[in-house]
Order: sequence, then C-alpha cells, then structure tokens
Amino acid sequence: MLEARDMMVFYENMVGLNNVSLSCDVNRIVGVFGANSAGKSTLMYVLSGIMLDIRKKELMAGGERISVFGSITYFGQDITNLKPSQRARKGIVLCPERRRIFTESSVLENLKIGGYQAPKARFRETLDYVFSLFPDLGKLKKRTGGFLSGGEQQMLAIGRALMAQPTFLLLDEPLLGLSPRIQANLMRATKDICETRGISVIITEQYARPVLPIVDYAYILENGSAVLEGSGQEMMNNEDVRAAYFGM
Amino acid sequence: MNRGHEYRKERLDRGIKVRSDGLYSLMSWRELSYLTLPRLILICGLLLLPVIVPGMYWQRVISIVCIYALLALSFDFLAYHLGLVCLGGAFFLGTGGYITAVLNATFGLPPVLSIPIAAIAGGLICTLLLLPCIPLRGVYFAIVTLMYPLFFDRLIVALDVLGGTDGIMGIESFPGSQAQYYVPILLVLVCLFGMRRLVNTDMGLMFRAVRDNDQAVRASGININIYKAIGVFIASAMGCLSGACLVHIYMWAGISLLALDFSILPIAATVIGGSGTLVGPVLGCFILVPISELLRAFGTLRIVFYALILVAFIVVRSEGLMVYAQRKYHQFERWVKV
Repeated sequence: MLEARDMMVFYENMVGLNNVSLSCDVNRIVGVFGANSAGKSTLMYVLSGIMLDIRKKELMAGGERISVFGSITYFGQDITNLKPSQRARKGIVLCPERRRIFTESSVLENLKIGGYQAPKARFRETLDYVFSLFPDLGKLKKRTGGFLSGGEQQMLAIGRALMAQPTFLLLDEPLLGLSPRIQANLMRATKDICETRGISVIITEQYARPVLPIVDYAYILENGSAVLEGSGQEMMNNEDVRAAYFGM
Repeated sequence: MNRGHEYRKERLDRGIKVRSDGLYSLMSWRELSYLTLPRLILICGLLLLPVIVPGMYWQRVISIVCIYALLALSFDFLAYHLGLVCLGGAFFLGTGGYITAVLNATFGLPPVLSIPIAAIAGGLICTLLLLPCIPLRGVYFAIVTLMYPLFFDRLIVALDVLGGTDGIMGIESFPGSQAQYYVPILLVLVCLFGMRRLVNTDMGLMFRAVRDNDQAVRASGININIYKAIGVFIASAMGCLSGACLVHIYMWAGISLLALDFSILPIAATVIGGSGTLVGPVLGCFILVPISELLRAFGTLRIVFYALILVAFIVVRSEGLMVYAQRKYHQFERWVKV
C-alpha cells in the first residue's frame, strides 16, 4: 500500500502541489487526471523520489528552491526521505514522461538495463512476459531504441519499468502523442499488468477518456490541488469531469 | 491539516530592485545608487588596484590577471551565450601574441597600432581556422579548439618559423609603466561592459537562441552559422587582444604563449566566478591568479593546493560566486508558515 499524505511542494514561491493526499492499494489502477501544470508530474516525482534529486541539483546550481512537505508511507514504512534508487528496489518504479529510453541501445539492451537488479530467473520470466505483452517489441529486439516509433518507444519504456520488478508502477503520461489505436493497445496492456502480475499502477494523463474505463479510483488535480476524487464509475458519470477531461 | 509547526524559506525580490527596474530608478538617489554602486565599486576598484598593491611584482601580477580575465570573458561568452565550449584560449592568445610580435619586431609598428591590428587580424584568422568546425556542437568543437594550440606549437618548433623555440625577441614595451598597468585594466573594463551591452541586444538574443535550440532558430529562417561565426570572431578577437597585451608586457613572444595554462585557467575562473554572468569570470581570475602566485611558496605542491581549492569550490558552491552574490543582492529570504 502506497500512501502520500498532505503533500505540499513549492517551486520557489509557486505552489506545485497543494495538500494532495493519494493512496493506492495493492492490485489497483489509480488514475490522476489534470491539465498541463496541474501538478501531475510533480506528484509522480514526489512518489518516485526523483524530486529529492531535482531539489539537490537545483540547490547545487543555485537554481530555484524546492520545498517538499508531507509524508509518504509504503506498507506502513515511512519512505519520505528515501532515495529514488532505494524506492525502486523496494518496488516503486517510475516510467517517466516522454519515455526517456536509452536511444543508443537496442531494445533488448534497454530491457536488460531495467532488469539489472532482478535475479536471473525473474529476469527471464519478466522478459518473456514483456514480449508477450507487446508482441511488436519481440520483432524488434535488435533495433536501436532511437529508431523506434513513438508507440514502440512507449512500450519499451513500460517494458523497462516492468523489468525492474515493480510492486507499484508509476506511469507518467504514457499516452503522450500516440495514435488512438496505440493508446487503446497500451491501456489493455496496463490492465493486463495489473490483473495478471498483481502490480498496482498509478497513471497520469490529461485526456481521461482512454484511461478512465480501466481505473479503479481516480483523482482530479487542478492547479496543484486535488479537487475531486472517486471511483472510476463515479468519475464517468460526473458532468464536470466529462466536460473538462473527456472533450465532450 | 494543521501545519502550524512547518516553515519554509521564501525568496522574494527586494523592493528596491523592483523599484529600480524601470525608468523609476531615476526617482531617488537611493534607487540610483542601488543600480550604480556595484558597477562603480568594480570600476574604481580595478582602476585603483595598481596604486594599492605593493611593489612592481604585484603590479605585474595585476596585469597578468587582466590578461586571464579577457580570456575568461571570451570563454564565458562562447560557452554560455553561444553554446560553444572552447578549450583553445591559448590558441587565441598565441595568435594575437605572434601577430603583434611580428608587426612590432619586424615591421616596427608601435604598440598603439600593433595591438588593435593583432586583435582584429587575429580574430579573423582564428575565425577562418575554426570555420569548418563551427557547425559542430559540444565535444567536437571543444576537441578541435584544444588541438589547435598543440598543432601550432609543434609546427613552430618543427619548421623553426616565428623564432622557433627561442621565440621573437626585441619587442617594444608599453610606453611607460603607467600605460602597462592601465591598458589591460581599461581593456578588461571596456570588454566587460561592451559584452554585457552586446548580450542584451537583439544579436545577443540571437546568440542565446542558437545556444538553446539551433533547430528552432533554423526553422525561423535564420542561418545559425553566420551568428556562430560572428560570436567566435568577437570572442577570438578578445583572446587575441589579451595575447597582444601579454607580448608587449613580456617584450617577448614564444611557444609558451600556446601553453595549456591559458586554456584551462580561464575555464576554472569561469566556474568559480559564476558562469554566464560575464562579471563572474573576471572576478574568478582576480581570485585564482593571485592565489596561484601566493602558492609559489609551496614549490611543486602548488598545483596540489590549487586543485584542492578548485575542487572544494565546485563541490561546495558549484553555482559560482557571482550568481550567489547577485541573488543575495537582489533578493531576500524569510521564513514563512506553510
């Protein structure tokens, strides 16, 4: 169980997250929706611990001061000050926005890097699972990451995150700039990840329509605050949500 | 949720900074002095330095500092306003130095003429030589600029041209010791304020755009290579100017002008002083060069202490002194309740 309580993030004097609480149970899909600058990526950085890295980098370079308040617990253990690498080893793995795959390495090498910490048997097993989940990737094992299409890159990014043996998978805008068909494809895969592997997924997206049908619980962020939350069905039926995040 | 016990530090612009941003700075003496005082301190400080420091030796050091400051200024401009990391400060310095040496020793031109000619001709030569690698970015440009001084160093020795290993001797000094001290200082001031003016013009905007995203600049229908070439010319002319001054101070030009010191020390000064600020590198030189002189007492251990100081600076305050100082000057901090 991953739980963030009263998270507050300031970028210098600007509020990035305002008292946002989020919890995700085991074997659940949680959606976080919001427009640009709503704080979705900030929330992902906070959960995965990358925010601590960014904060340190900014401090060293004399950039903006980032202040983070609130607490994050993971199965009852306080992980607020844990480094991102330690969190990943515990099972909180981020699949970053804009994919960030290793463009100079081949598909197989990308996956190997992701699964570097995993035991050998687990590694083989997960690799097979990734290729069964995304059959397209299986045909492109030797292809250099940079030469993949946007959709294939996103599949590769999710695959790489899966190789790190997550218990909680954080998907930051996985549908960015993809065609509706690939979007649907990826959402099916996400559902499969949750159902067959028992991995919880927290997924952020701007456009809720392809995502909302598969989520168990959803949060709506606006200007850094969580303005609305409820089960996926409740959200589907909410007129305001439909107007703002469904484009209808 | 009660956050009564949690505080965060807030950073705000000082009122006086906001007031003196526009035309309103002419409102009162306080606002005026807020703007002009730091500049006045810099100008007066630099001009007074030759008078304050004790003895010929330290006056000489000040002149050398100014030479390095010009090189650092050119590095900072190229790296942080144009995106070209140039490791060839020695190349600029050597080109300028040798041109002024030939002009002065062979053709008998006085320093008044030979220095400006060396700066402009040297700038043109350097730009022409770097022209093939101007479209390159990042490490490629850096490597090429690093290789040029080594290349010319070996060439001069092997072909025994331009005085070979002995160098060119019999070069006129500056007319009078006052000129020798004040010409480099004035040049630093003119270049510093000139560059600051330049980077705030439309052309400076162009340079920064090329640094940030050359594809987007190309997409706007602008030839980026022309702007890069102009930038390289400005920076290399500044480097050549420093070389020309150095030769007239030493009254000698040799292959030590192409030594690695002249490429590396300005970079270190830029890092310490605060990259991208233009004033920072100059300040960095005024810290680093005298320190390296003071450390002469340690003999061969000098480099060890020097490296330690550098590493400590980078680890503890990698933003640079000037960035830090500017922030403290323009902004204040206070604790506020979350």
